[in-house]
Amino acid sequence: MIQDRLLIFRCKNGCRAAFRRIYEMYESDLRTLAANLLDDKAAAEDVVHDVFVSFLKVVDRLELRSSLAGYLKTCVANRARDYLRTRQRQTIAVNNAEQVIPGNDGPVRLVIQSEELQKLGFAMSKIPYEQREAIVLHLHGQMKFKTIARLQNVSIKTAHTRYRAGLDGLKLILNSEVQE
Amino acid sequence: MKPAEKIERLIKKSRYKASPDAYNKALGSFLQAVDEHERQKSALTEPNIRRIIMKHPITKLAAAAVIIIAVLASLPFIGGKKSGIALAQVLEKIEQARAYMYTMEMKMTGKLMPFAQESKILATHSDDYGVKWYWENTDPNTGKTTSLQVYLLPEKKMAITIMPETKQYIRMPFGDELFTRMKQQNNDPSEMIRQIMKCEYTELDRTVIDGVEVQGFRTTDPDFKGALGSDATSIELTLWVDVETRLPVLMEMDINSGEQMQVTGTTYDFRWNVPVQAIDFEPNIPEDFKPFSTDGVMMPGMTEADAVEGLRLFAEMTGKYPKKLNMMDLAQEIAALNNILMEELKKLKEEMGDTTEMTNEELRNAVMKKTESTFLKKLMEDMGGTTEMTNEEFRNALMKKTMEIMRPLQSIGFFYMTLVADKKEPVYYGESVGPDDADKVLLQWKVSDDHYRVIFGDLTAEDLTAEQWKEFEK
Repeated sequence: MIQDRLLIFRCKNGCRAAFRRIYEMYESDLRTLAANLLDDKAAAEDVVHDVFVSFLKVVDRLELRSSLAGYLKTCVANRARDYLRTRQRQTIAVNNAEQVIPGNDGPVRLVIQSEELQKLGFAMSKIPYEQREAIVLHLHGQMKFKTIARLQNVSIKTAHTRYRAGLDGLKLILNSEVQE
Repeated sequence: MKPAEKIERLIKKSRYKASPDAYNKALGSFLQAVDEHERQKSALTEPNIRRIIMKHPITKLAAAAVIIIAVLASLPFIGGKKSGIALAQVLEKIEQARAYMYTMEMKMTGKLMPFAQESKILATHSDDYGVKWYWENTDPNTGKTTSLQVYLLPEKKMAITIMPETKQYIRMPFGDELFTRMKQQNNDPSEMIRQIMKCEYTELDRTVIDGVEVQGFRTTDPDFKGALGSDATSIELTLWVDVETRLPVLMEMDINSGEQMQVTGTTYDFRWNVPVQAIDFEPNIPEDFKPFSTDGVMMPGMTEADAVEGLRLFAEMTGKYPKKLNMMDLAQEIAALNNILMEELKKLKEEMGDTTEMTNEELRNAVMKKTESTFLKKLMEDMGGTTEMTNEEFRNALMKKTMEIMRPLQSIGFFYMTLVADKKEPVYYGESVGPDDADKVLLQWKVSDDHYRVIFGDLTAEDLTAEQWKEFEK
């Protein structure tokens, strides 16, 4: 925590090395988070870049209440949702159907190249976004349900239910693949 | 393993890593945005210095240091590049005085002061025993007066401050360099003259003050700005000397450091060759007075090594070097840095909840465990052996230890000030050189006509001949 605060202090003083350090420390986690939320490599890159640039703009006024990692992950979650809303509008306009845009491969499929993970990626894209968000934020963002609930503007119980329902949904889709 | 757990594990495995090319491109783009943002910011923003500044006692101390320096700086005025005959006579007379007294009134305003400060100092200087000041500060808004007694005792290598209102005292030992400098100023006026002779001054027409015919000497020499750490935008000192006795009777000073600080002062009621005894310089600390929390903390060192230690500490804490080394700017940076550490301690305290039942040792261990700051870790490590302390003693010990650890930061400014005062033409590049710039000059100064001393970004130092230095400059 103090490391975060000192980094922010340096950023407020215009220390380029501090911005770079923050980027190096958190970029990978944020990219993973965004990619898993969006299942879209290019969009994840854009979202993470936007988050860092907006951090740059607000850092002078930033009063950190939790960890910097938590703050940045929340920003990614919010941006990812905004992105999806925009994309949904655009996609609906083009083709009134939920589909994977050609050439827009998910990072799971592209990078890890594991058959199991490919299937998981596909399954993730099939469950409702709020369930997927709860799962990704909990497992990749290490967020507690209390934080997820606040972010989704629901009760803790609902956030937890979404998480469980999401896992059940994945289990159903992957039923034949995941063995006891 | 249950299916849900397997899915959870599988999801955790789905990490995403950018290719090195994509990563470097994205990072480059972000850093470009940082540079652009900083450019815009520096063009548009003006930091609210006052708010940061006066919140912190360290800044107040630094401001006080600046004021003390201003007072000391006013002394070496006696000298000049002209024939120097009249002032040489003044010097001769002053040299004969083993002890003297004067009264000084000062008014300080500006961003560095939270409110206009009016001070009156009754000073006694003795070649044999040191310096004694009775210092009264009056808040013009409330009329409230506080007083200090300050003793600078070269033989004991100690500065002692007594604060009657709070019934407290502070003893500050000082090192050999400061001791040597004090000896020079108190006991070796010829050394002082050698320095002052470099300044320009004008002779004023004779006039009469309080029935005494006086001759005036005035300087606005920019060299005097150096004594304030080179940031004063203008300075004017006028000395009025009794034409009969050749001794000073009045000195007026006007120092302007832009918006940060303006000081006007009048020194009068000089009394020369006053009889003094050792007992006059023995601080009288009443038995019921208690040591202030920083009692015993050494005054900042003034050597190159002290300054390098300070620069290293600053870089460890902030990742860069101070932007400027003059006292005022440095004080702001230290204050801001100190502020964040204090806030962090406060946060840690909040996170730990009710610590009243904890022993000092448990509290120390808890902070060490929770904090990631090397500074706080070191602070807590150094606080060992606190088991028997009361809470108040523990708090005081903590403050004292903080002062000790932060002390090298002040040395940076003191060292730079000595370079300026010694006219070694220091040039500092803290705004553009950082800890990773091993081959760039961070600070340079002239050792002699054909030698330079250079400290690099990685804090290594080298002596260069003028020729080598020119080569390096290319």
